[in-house]
Amino acid sequence: MSEAVVDRYEKREVLGEGTYGVVFKAIDRKTGQTVAIKKIRLGKQKEGVNFTALREIKLLKELKDPNIIELIDAYPNKGNLHLVFEFMETDLEAVIRDRNIFLSPADIKSYIQMTLKGLAFCHRKWVLHRDMKPNNLLIGPNGQLKLADFGLARLFGSPDRRFTHQVFARWYRAPELLFGAKQYGPGVDVWAAACIFAELLLRRPFLQGNSDIDQLGKIFAAFGTPKSLQWPDMVYLPDYVEYQHVPGQPLRTLFPMASDDCLDLLSKMFTYDPKSRISAQQALEHRYFTSIPPPTEPASLPRPPPKRESVNSRVSDFNPQDGPTVLSPPRKLRRVMPQREGFDINAQLTDTMDDHGNEIRQTAGERSGQAPMSLDFSVFGMRPPSRPTINSADRSHLKRKLDLEFQLPEEE
Amino acid sequence: MAANFWTSSHYKQLLDTEEVDVVHPLDKERGMTLEDFKLIKLHMANYIARLAQNVKVRQRVVATAITYMRRVYVRRSMTEYDPRLVAPTCLYLASKAEESTVQARLLVFYIKKLYSDEKYRFEIKEILEMEMKILEALNYYLVVFHPYRALSQLLQDAGMNDATQPTWGLVNDTYKMDLILIHPPHLIALACIYIASVQKDKENTAWFEELRVDMNVVKNIAMEILDFYDSHKLITDDRVNAAMNKLAR
Repeated sequence: MSEAVVDRYEKREVLGEGTYGVVFKAIDRKTGQTVAIKKIRLGKQKEGVNFTALREIKLLKELKDPNIIELIDAYPNKGNLHLVFEFMETDLEAVIRDRNIFLSPADIKSYIQMTLKGLAFCHRKWVLHRDMKPNNLLIGPNGQLKLADFGLARLFGSPDRRFTHQVFARWYRAPELLFGAKQYGPGVDVWAAACIFAELLLRRPFLQGNSDIDQLGKIFAAFGTPKSLQWPDMVYLPDYVEYQHVPGQPLRTLFPMASDDCLDLLSKMFTYDPKSRISAQQALEHRYFTSIPPPTEPASLPRPPPKRESVNSRVSDFNPQDGPTVLSPPRKLRRVMPQREGFDINAQLTDTMDDHGNEIRQTAGERSGQAPMSLDFSVFGMRPPSRPTINSADRSHLKRKLDLEFQLPEEE
Repeated sequence: MAANFWTSSHYKQLLDTEEVDVVHPLDKERGMTLEDFKLIKLHMANYIARLAQNVKVRQRVVATAITYMRRVYVRRSMTEYDPRLVAPTCLYLASKAEESTVQARLLVFYIKKLYSDEKYRFEIKEILEMEMKILEALNYYLVVFHPYRALSQLLQDAGMNDATQPTWGLVNDTYKMDLILIHPPHLIALACIYIASVQKDKENTAWFEELRVDMNVVKNIAMEILDFYDSHKLITDDRVNAAMNKLAR
């Protein structure tokens, strides 16, 4: 029976290497549709179908929505499980990074709206995505943005369930997670969506911490250290430590180009207390989405030209020095942004990128003073620092926490 | 999750009794009757529960595993899919799907401990191969809803918190039948509450009437459960063994 399914798909080129297997392009002979097939490696043959893959299957079978990647089919072949996804041309990270693309306010509105729609749908279905970041937001041939990579996603039905806080790539991690919260909700995805929103506006990752501590420092430098009135439960979080008080920047300074509505929504998504943070559904109902300009039609959105090697879900450019978990499209120099008032950025950038890199790291240390990252437009000229994903320590932590919850202590 | 049962694959996959009570042609050839078919599924549900006690997983995992097993046999024959392998594999798969993984070798260890019978012995490799076949048989649908959550909410609402123990036990027993394939979980929960109310002579007709559910369905489920308890008394090991023996290996 599986033979017939195998014959249905005409294998094309390999698109890349994902976290748990090879992804290749294929044509569905039955429908003529282009698809991406993830071949799940069965690894050491010790624990059967990969746990992460199983999670993704389980949730994607329930989640059918225009803004969620479609799992079309699954079939075993030669002992390996194959997942058939709709084919996606590129991802949001590639859009953000492409220096030849200009994103108008209407374009940004459209991209973040689709992101929030996908997220609101997940949350309605009681699914937390837990790994929201631009390269998990895939873009299809008609410009539709879709949430992908549900390998970390979970159902959050029971309110008392405790989860691991080691989720999300660091730059997108909500403050409650950085303080070690084990019981959290959809707010963590909203925070990450806010980071993506900011990234669309700035055209670079907004809060680029290089450790969990530093990440909180970056957050506080931007928005000010939270007062207990703002976030009463903060002090009870497991890893809470007191931070030196810093005032934070007006959003207007951080995002000089954004409209008032845009900043209002952004501030509601970046609310410290997860209980008062806006939900994805409420965010969609915010006036930002009804005020002018209306969001661009997906089909008219600027996208990088489709290349020979298209980027797809789970496809990484496998950058050896970053390790295989960095799933990013091919490196590109950052776009030099169009002139903004007050920031002469066109001048001297590309030549001194290493120096700037150091500068960033230095300024990161001192968390008083002006927000180093957020005002530092010099990053536009330099190679982007490697994006952190779930790192190996986190991964092993996750493994322990989730895979082996009920394992008896036994020797290998 | 409970809020989304109506949009879930579980809801869309609910079957009629007539669709569930079908002996696969291959099994019929071996002389298996509907009675045998039900007995073997009951026996396997018990097997899964016993195994689960040893490897220590939540009741939810047990319930999901039994549901998987029952779903498999809506579509597949016992002749081709040996229940003695399907049952532990369903527990293995359910433990992963419910985020509390049990290692395959641990299962193999406890299977050996529970059964001296050769026919129950399987290697890790066989479990892993069967896992893939079960995934296929389930059409990769893994999310299952259970009556437990609805049960505690409903009991609280009915002011029957003292009945938690007996009703919980009743719900556990419903997995010895195919109810989870046929009825929405909250109706199964209500049927169990109904039985408990009758048993305890608790008058809560008003409460039931206020619920916007079809009480006829609830009563029918309750009757089915009570009938099952009656017939259960007549089940002997010999009858189970006779049914199992029709599955030559």
